[in-house]
Amino acid sequence: MSDALNTSWFDPARVNLLVGLAVFIAFLILNIKRAKGGSNMFIRPLAGLKAVDEAIGRATEMGRPVLYLPGLGDMSEAGTLASIAILGRVARRTAEMGCDLDVPGYDPVATTIMDGAARQAYTEAGRRDAYRPGTVHYVTTQQFAYVAAVSGFMLRERPAANIFMGSFYAESLFLAETGNLTGAIQIAGCDQVTQLPFFVCACDYTLLGEELFAAGAFLGQEPVQLATVAAQDWAKALAAAMVVVSLLASAMGHPELGLLLQTR
Amino acid sequence: MRNGPLVITFLVATSLVAMFFIPHHKVQEGQSVLLNWANVVYAFALILGSLTLWVSHQKKVLARAEGWPYSVVTLAALSFVTVAGTVQGVEEGTLVNRYYNMVNSPLASTMFALLAFFIASAAFRAFRARNAEATLLLGTAIVMMIGRVSVGEFLWSGFPPVTEWLLDVPNLAAKRAIALGIGLGAISTALKIILGIDRTYLGRS
Repeated sequence: MSDALNTSWFDPARVNLLVGLAVFIAFLILNIKRAKGGSNMFIRPLAGLKAVDEAIGRATEMGRPVLYLPGLGDMSEAGTLASIAILGRVARRTAEMGCDLDVPGYDPVATTIMDGAARQAYTEAGRRDAYRPGTVHYVTTQQFAYVAAVSGFMLRERPAANIFMGSFYAESLFLAETGNLTGAIQIAGCDQVTQLPFFVCACDYTLLGEELFAAGAFLGQEPVQLATVAAQDWAKALAAAMVVVSLLASAMGHPELGLLLQTR
Repeated sequence: MRNGPLVITFLVATSLVAMFFIPHHKVQEGQSVLLNWANVVYAFALILGSLTLWVSHQKKVLARAEGWPYSVVTLAALSFVTVAGTVQGVEEGTLVNRYYNMVNSPLASTMFALLAFFIASAAFRAFRARNAEATLLLGTAIVMMIGRVSVGEFLWSGFPPVTEWLLDVPNLAAKRAIALGIGLGAISTALKIILGIDRTYLGRS
């Protein structure tokens, strides 16, 4: 049956995805209930996130700005959403410490939203008057033009701390190496697997993969946010167990479980 | 009123998730309409972003701030592309198209080409035998670099297969493990937004 004439109300090939989503939501609800019930939600300390305070403190002492790069993703990407959550925390810290913050934006929609998040963070820190219009500013939606603009800022203004959080692509090493040249302390978190090695080589601290998505919860330490990280861990444990079981089953001549896990 | 945006986010997001599982042609048409609306929102945000860009660079020029000549170039390029694109369009042979092919593309390619030198400097700094893990990284990098060039096979026929094994087994295993975590993290982040647990995108904590 062609797509144009498709009149079915459910795609049976995607039932495994629906079950997986339902299980994840169940984990989420369970952990939020645990969090609201007073359970201690522990997240192991992440060196990169503990270093954020140190980096902002260093920038304050040196009288130089903090450069926050939210990545080259748009609002449809989870990396950008995670970056906005982290920006709120970072902006609050810079407001409390009286340090300048600069956030060059790549996507115009994300830039507008980040501006609102940063303003709100300054308001919550009681430093609304310290928020400088133009702290979050749109640069360009051309990849290497953005890189050129940000590199120029790094070399002219010499920020004391560079924080890269979001979706980065070919420009990741360019930005990290330029920041390295200026002697800035650099903290990176990226959801692109292919770019992580470049950040690991060129930055002082790197958040690997899912740590980017846990960062917002770690910095805020709010129980409900920590509960979502716990749900994420439960889902990962379940996924790992299913991979191992299906591997063993396939090795023993029963590939059905592995076929069940295939997606379309 | 304060919860209006949260309700809209929840309804639109759950609709899009549901549409993923419903192949009915009317539902898929509705999904296309919603995604086209996103393009319209993007276009307006682009106008807002361009205006912000204009204002910030104009201030630098009027105040003769450091680097103000570069702001003049930025404003000139922004004006030219906007006016020429509006008057002539952006098809083949128009001023904007020629500007893109003769100026923008070569500049972007130049920047991309610089990446090779940055890779060399990062490798020189990172591949040092400081400890066991760093030594392992250094050894693997040497094998990979030799195995990827023709002289590697000339020196020893085993270099290419070893290189391929390194890429296909340990490297791929690590990539998939990280990708699994990223996928689950992305789902968690999306659910936090949909369910209103994370409201930073609205300018609220």
